[in-house]
Amino acid sequence: MGSVASQHRVANVKSGEPAAVRIGPGIYQVQDEGRSHIIYVAGSPGDSWAFWNGQVFRSGTKEETPHRAQPARRAAALSLTAPMPATVLKVLVTAGSQVKTGDTVIILEAMKMELPVRTSRDGIVTAVHCREGELVQPDTVLVEVADEVG
Amino acid sequence: MIKRLLIANRGEIAVRIARACRELGVESVAAYSEADARALHVMTADRAVAIGPAAAADSYLSIPHLIDAARASGADSVHPGYGFLSENAAFAEACEQAGLVFVGPPPHVIATMGSKIEARRLMERAGIPVVPGETSADQSDDALGALIARVGLPALVKPSAGGGGKGMHRVFAHAEIAGAVQTARREALAAFGDGTLYVERLIERPHHVEVQVIGDRHGHLVHLFERECSAQRRHQKVIEESPSPAITPALRERLTAAAVDAARAVSYCNAGTVEFLVDLGSADIDRAPFYFLEMNTRLQVEHPVTEQVAGVDLVRAQLIVASGEPLPWDQRALAQRGHAIEARVYAEDPSHGFLPQAGRVLLYREPRLPGVRVDSGFVEGSEISVHYDPLLAKVIASAETRDLTIARLVAALRGYPILGIRTNISYLLRILEHPQFQSGNVDTSFLEREGEALAERPNTSFPPPVTAAMAAHSEASAISDTPAGETHSPWDPWRRSTGWRT
Repeated sequence: MGSVASQHRVANVKSGEPAAVRIGPGIYQVQDEGRSHIIYVAGSPGDSWAFWNGQVFRSGTKEETPHRAQPARRAAALSLTAPMPATVLKVLVTAGSQVKTGDTVIILEAMKMELPVRTSRDGIVTAVHCREGELVQPDTVLVEVADEVG
Repeated sequence: MIKRLLIANRGEIAVRIARACRELGVESVAAYSEADARALHVMTADRAVAIGPAAAADSYLSIPHLIDAARASGADSVHPGYGFLSENAAFAEACEQAGLVFVGPPPHVIATMGSKIEARRLMERAGIPVVPGETSADQSDDALGALIARVGLPALVKPSAGGGGKGMHRVFAHAEIAGAVQTARREALAAFGDGTLYVERLIERPHHVEVQVIGDRHGHLVHLFERECSAQRRHQKVIEESPSPAITPALRERLTAAAVDAARAVSYCNAGTVEFLVDLGSADIDRAPFYFLEMNTRLQVEHPVTEQVAGVDLVRAQLIVASGEPLPWDQRALAQRGHAIEARVYAEDPSHGFLPQAGRVLLYREPRLPGVRVDSGFVEGSEISVHYDPLLAKVIASAETRDLTIARLVAALRGYPILGIRTNISYLLRILEHPQFQSGNVDTSFLEREGEALAERPNTSFPPPVTAAMAAHSEASAISDTPAGETHSPWDPWRRSTGWRT
């Protein structure tokens, strides 16, 4: 880290705002209110990651919300997706099944762990897009749930 | 002495075994799947042999592929590490028949201790207390339901062939029996290829204390004290330490004596761990009841805390006794000195239900501090795949006292950047900083009970210094063709042009 003076870049020179200096590959020293912080940054401007004091920050991509955290709105149909590459272990519903918030509809398996996929709304299963044993990719729609008919 | 050792494993443990080989002058041979061709363990070992496709069943779990690899590489011995085939008696047997030294106990000992039912019978005969429980030849849902009713609720349903907490399910109410049995059976089949289930009485809020033992072929058998492993999430250990802050010297005497008796009962050879559930509910800790849980006939993930506190190298000792030489130390030479705590760093996202994470590691720097050891199995630029266990690394801190050790481990984790893939580091920090953990009285239900307090919310608002560093970084990336300047390693992600605008 000693001989990088020529590469120093001051990102923000406005007074009162933190000033960041690059001190090595992906390493930045930031002065903020008289205190010095070491922050590690990686990734592209569209998807960048930072590490500071044991915490990770990610910007540029929308953070997926866990399915169960989504509010169960009556208007929109709900698509339940795979959170990561996984094998479909069990399909517990078929088109037409009635489901209640919190019901497990699919069990996935990845890294030897079972991952239940739960519905975050009451309704009726309108479509099942996967079969048991199938390998699914992240964001693949597995099951759709919509309002009850009538 | 063995001359050339095939490491039938991957990740941090394969790297760690290769390191012990180098110190002993033993040549190491890495076995690797297609997904691991550029993995750290392959680069660390002296030689490497491909053993098949990414799926573990066709590579790290394939006995014929591994035996072929050992033959092809001219190895005279095999170290199974932990997980995979480490507790598979058929693998140990196949090694013996191929004329290879298996670094572990003999096949019949693995088979006996690997069967919860047989191990239990043996322990009862040896006078070691066991948790009330049973299994039946009839493994139908109804028969297991009746078994659960007989053992009594709350109960624990677990794979008979299992270990490492996989496929274990707790049952508190009759309504939960059917679901627990079916899930446990599926997980048992998937993880161990055997759906036989075992039912036992659940002891609420016990401590998980285990004793490290090691024996040689000359009748010497020693223990290396205990490890406290009660900080578990869904039966997976997260933080382990030695000595246990919850027991007394008198209880330690009883636990270590029972562990040595248990190992003697099977004429144990090589390294193993005797796990106990300790009921610390009463005031008289000296006389606290404890129960034999299981014996792991292999090296444990958490072996480094014992190494730090006892000042020994367990893998080296394993290789020495596997070669037929006597143990390098006797019981009187062994003592616990200071304190050590290990934190397991997993590729999982604590803010999204601990989902395992896969992806490329964009930036990786290990903390370098006195008294801090990092056992890891990957480098910057490594691809963490969905095929294997999400354990990335272990950070082990040691110091004179427990308080100092916690402070040291916190400092190490605060300076351990892993970017490009989510890890549980912030979760580990919240555990280490929790008053209950710091008090030293953590039972096996702690992490579950404190789940809400330890839960993570994704960082959506960024502190000003982070924003400033990110801005400086994107500016640096925009200027240079090789973004952010010089490359850091041959696998440096900065050398890749994908995704960059110039």
